[in-house]
Amino acid sequence: MNKVLVVFASFVCFVPSRFAGLRTIEAAADSARQIVAESQHRTEATSQRYEGLLQVFDAKGKIADKRWTFERLGSHGNSKAVLRFTAPAEVKGVALLIVNHPDRSSDQWMWTPAIERDRRIALQDRSTRFFGTDFSFEDLEERDVDQYDYTLAGDDTAGGALCWKIESAPKRTKSSQYTRSIVWIRKDTYALARIENYIKDQIVRRLEYSAFEKVQGIWTARQLEMTDLRRSSRTRLTLDKLDYNVPLKDDDFTLEAIRRP
Amino acid sequence: MILLRLISWPYFRKHVLRTMLTIAGIVLGVAVFVGMHTANQSVLFAFSQTVDRIAGKTELQVTAGEAGFDEEILEKVQSASSVRVAVPVIEAVVDTRIKGEGSLLILGVDMMGDRGLRDYDLDSGDESVIDDPLVFLAQPDSIILTKEFADANHLGVQSRVALGTVDGEKEFTVRGIMKSSGLASAYGGNLAIMDIYAAQRMFGRGRRFDRIDLAVQPGHTVAECEQELRTLLGPGLQVDPPSGRGQQFEAILSAYSMMVDISSLFALFIGMFIIYNSFAIAVTQRRAEIGILRALGATRGQIRWLFLGESAVTGLIGSLGGLAFGVLIARAIAATVGSLINDVYGVGHLADEVAADPKLLGIALGIGIATSVVAALIPARNAARVDPVQALQKGKYQVLSAGENRLRVVLAAVLGAVSIACLFYGGSRAVFYVGYMLAIVAALLLSPLLSLALARAIRPVLKWLRPVEGALAADSLIQAPRRTSASVAALMLSLALVVAFAGMARASYDSILGWMNTALNPDLFVVPSQNIAVRTFRFPSSMGPELAAVAGVSRVQMVSDMRIIFRRTPIMAVALEVESVAQTARRTPVAGNEDDMYRLTAEGRGLMVSDNLAQLQRLTLGEMLEIPAPYGVIRLPIVGIVVDYSDQQGTVLMDRTVFAKYWHDDTVNVFRVYLQPGSRVPDVKQRILERFAGRRVFVLTNGELRAYILKITDQWFGLTSVQIAVAVLVAILGIVNTLTVSITDRRRELGVLQAVGGLHGQIRRTIWMEALSIGAIGLMLGFALGAVNLYYILQIVHRDIAGMRLDYEYPVSVALALVPTILGAALVAAIWPAESAVHGSLVEALEYE
Repeated sequence: MNKVLVVFASFVCFVPSRFAGLRTIEAAADSARQIVAESQHRTEATSQRYEGLLQVFDAKGKIADKRWTFERLGSHGNSKAVLRFTAPAEVKGVALLIVNHPDRSSDQWMWTPAIERDRRIALQDRSTRFFGTDFSFEDLEERDVDQYDYTLAGDDTAGGALCWKIESAPKRTKSSQYTRSIVWIRKDTYALARIENYIKDQIVRRLEYSAFEKVQGIWTARQLEMTDLRRSSRTRLTLDKLDYNVPLKDDDFTLEAIRRP
Repeated sequence: MILLRLISWPYFRKHVLRTMLTIAGIVLGVAVFVGMHTANQSVLFAFSQTVDRIAGKTELQVTAGEAGFDEEILEKVQSASSVRVAVPVIEAVVDTRIKGEGSLLILGVDMMGDRGLRDYDLDSGDESVIDDPLVFLAQPDSIILTKEFADANHLGVQSRVALGTVDGEKEFTVRGIMKSSGLASAYGGNLAIMDIYAAQRMFGRGRRFDRIDLAVQPGHTVAECEQELRTLLGPGLQVDPPSGRGQQFEAILSAYSMMVDISSLFALFIGMFIIYNSFAIAVTQRRAEIGILRALGATRGQIRWLFLGESAVTGLIGSLGGLAFGVLIARAIAATVGSLINDVYGVGHLADEVAADPKLLGIALGIGIATSVVAALIPARNAARVDPVQALQKGKYQVLSAGENRLRVVLAAVLGAVSIACLFYGGSRAVFYVGYMLAIVAALLLSPLLSLALARAIRPVLKWLRPVEGALAADSLIQAPRRTSASVAALMLSLALVVAFAGMARASYDSILGWMNTALNPDLFVVPSQNIAVRTFRFPSSMGPELAAVAGVSRVQMVSDMRIIFRRTPIMAVALEVESVAQTARRTPVAGNEDDMYRLTAEGRGLMVSDNLAQLQRLTLGEMLEIPAPYGVIRLPIVGIVVDYSDQQGTVLMDRTVFAKYWHDDTVNVFRVYLQPGSRVPDVKQRILERFAGRRVFVLTNGELRAYILKITDQWFGLTSVQIAVAVLVAILGIVNTLTVSITDRRRELGVLQAVGGLHGQIRRTIWMEALSIGAIGLMLGFALGAVNLYYILQIVHRDIAGMRLDYEYPVSVALALVPTILGAALVAAIWPAESAVHGSLVEALEYE
């Protein structure tokens, strides 16, 4: 599994990790790629919805909160998502539409109600911070596992659980700000436990998953914390009112739809 | 060096005033050159610096003239493989409404990608506001100010600032303050950052960008990227490094620079004659001294070098003074030039620093010294030729020999003939300017002879006026033609400059008035900015029908104008409703058939060009024009050439349908409004203002627009007036110098006059009459040379400066005004020498020489 998918899966979509009865853990562990694929497979859901609280802790300890609602429709790597801010007041109504493609980078648009304008978020801007958080726009993307190469780096513990430690690197055809990532996947649930992202040999971001809970049969981390190691700031995302396989329509994931209040 | 110390220094000490006057000539000449050029360079530097600071890490910029281009171009640019980051930009200059702050340069950027190119180094404010573009983007009233601007106006984060927008005055919230360095120091710190999409709305730009700034992908060169983008975007969009904008601005300033060069050259030329005069007199006065030196064994070469050395030192001192004075006046001139550029071209910039270019100072120093040395060449040569025996005798060394006269006449005739020939073969720029120089040199060669002839001619008049004083004054001039002719030549040159510039100004005024009478005849002009040259704000075309519905309005014509790049030169493109304009403001073409011209242009089958564009770009009727536009290359023939003064670099006029097709833009800069018969202009103006209350709408009456254009014309010529004033001042210095020398030279003669009973009043009147005579002769020759000079200046304006075809009209009123001015100045210049003559010691005077 690529690290972007991992981030996306946990951060925005919360693609869950669940046991697939037809496969055994041993079989899935045959290779790093299989482990990642299995982890992804266990997160399958046709749709999801949640309300999120983002808390940004800067280097001085200052906290800035943002709230949003999130809806996602579609399968891995071929999904659409709408994220709409609800608080604070000055950003209320601002919406982000993400259209993921299996073979290329996602398309992203932002809607700003105060000036009634949508703007496309260019590919070149995907490495910039996602609206003041410690995530980047690239971290919102959902990509196919085949866009990365994987190496099993051994076993390790993360969050007190035994994990596979897997190194992933984007293939030459894949454009990414990161040179490589190290992913920790829990052996007991196939859920993501930690991701470390590197630019060249420098670790730049670390994402920790916690507060695991089984929601509608899918193992889900209720809390994620991204640390930007260059800025010494961190962002915590707490999920609330999470539902999977909710009835959503394609029409709700268009530019016209996000323009609606 | 020893000779300079032992011989020259005591002489200068003895003639302090004359030395000072001589030096003053150089000081003024160099000061004008340095002041004007430093001001020019400072304005240009300020603009380039603003461009550089705003550019940040930008390596290339995509532009399409002032009209900008659709947003979709951005995606094309971003898709280029050699582009690392490409971000859109809108620039707008708005009035701050804060007393003393003037305008503020608003930079509309997309904060998400823009930080890859520009560093928004925050001094204070909520870091997250800027780091989080969401808040910044979500609130369209967000702006970031510079610390300098914020401190000066006691503004902090969350302060509110009122700025003019297309919807009238709006309040903006300060959401960040940048440190005063790098980007924040651009435009003298009067810079604000705004979200680009908010800026589009605030300034009525629709969904368009002014330009795209970009950086090149590592592994690619700037040239490769430039080439890829040119291929990708086509010829309608320019891809240039940021410095290219500086070059375009330089082209705008070039017209002014040329006028500066011409008048600086004249100022130095005039200074040269003052120096020549001083040295010629010095050689005459020091003949005995030279004779002694020669008798003691000094060689001709040593004598020549002594005088050249003196002139070099004089030039050096004068030039240094000129440099200091020039830098001093540059600030004031820069402010004036800046204001003019802003008013005429709507190009925002602030020349907050006036720093003289060492190279310019070096050149000015060199020119000052060289002028002085060249001026002293003939006196030095004459000094070297002095015969020791004759030198110790008194004689009429001031008299011009018949042989010398013949030589001058022959030389002047040859040069005059060559200069006339140059006019016939003036197709080449170099040949034309050589001809111009030769004409001036021929006039200078003739000036001693003409001075002498005129002095002889006015002798009877002077004698008739005052038999004794008049005769003495005239004889003084006749007996010392060298002394007189240099002053006359200086005066002649300065007056020729005044006449030429005045004639050019008069002709320009007349032409502009003629153009305004035919082309600008609507009753009202509805514009989005008080400064019609500023195209920051634009109206939607939907406003046209609203205007037409206002009671009393009979016809509304929409006009869009913008500066575009044509053959790498910024020119004006004006899009009109040609069919309607043809019914209200028909112009007689300079070339082309009037009916066909309007019909074909209205049908989108042709273009009209201004006469100055045709001249500057060598365009002819019927020629197929290729104008690159954002949505294709306009390929249409020139169907008419008309007089149009919308822009100094030239104008192309097209129908609005062509503009809409090739620019995808239907915004409007000006609505031309005609009233129904019987409607009163003030009433309809008031109704329009009421109809669009709360929106950024200014209504100018026809008279107000004319006054505005004439004000700009006045500003333009106001700058040249400064140079003319200096030229006249230098010439007056020449008269003072001449008279001072004349008094000194004639101390013994004046002493004898007093000794035999000459009254103080008579001595005074003699000197006054001599001064008036120099003034009168200078006026006569100056007017004559001015007539020739005016012809050349009009040709230069037509050929190389603005392409304007101006009618030759001698500025009689200015010439008449110059008569009392120069005679008065001559009289004033004579006061001190006259008083010095009557109050000097009689004994000393009789012992003189």
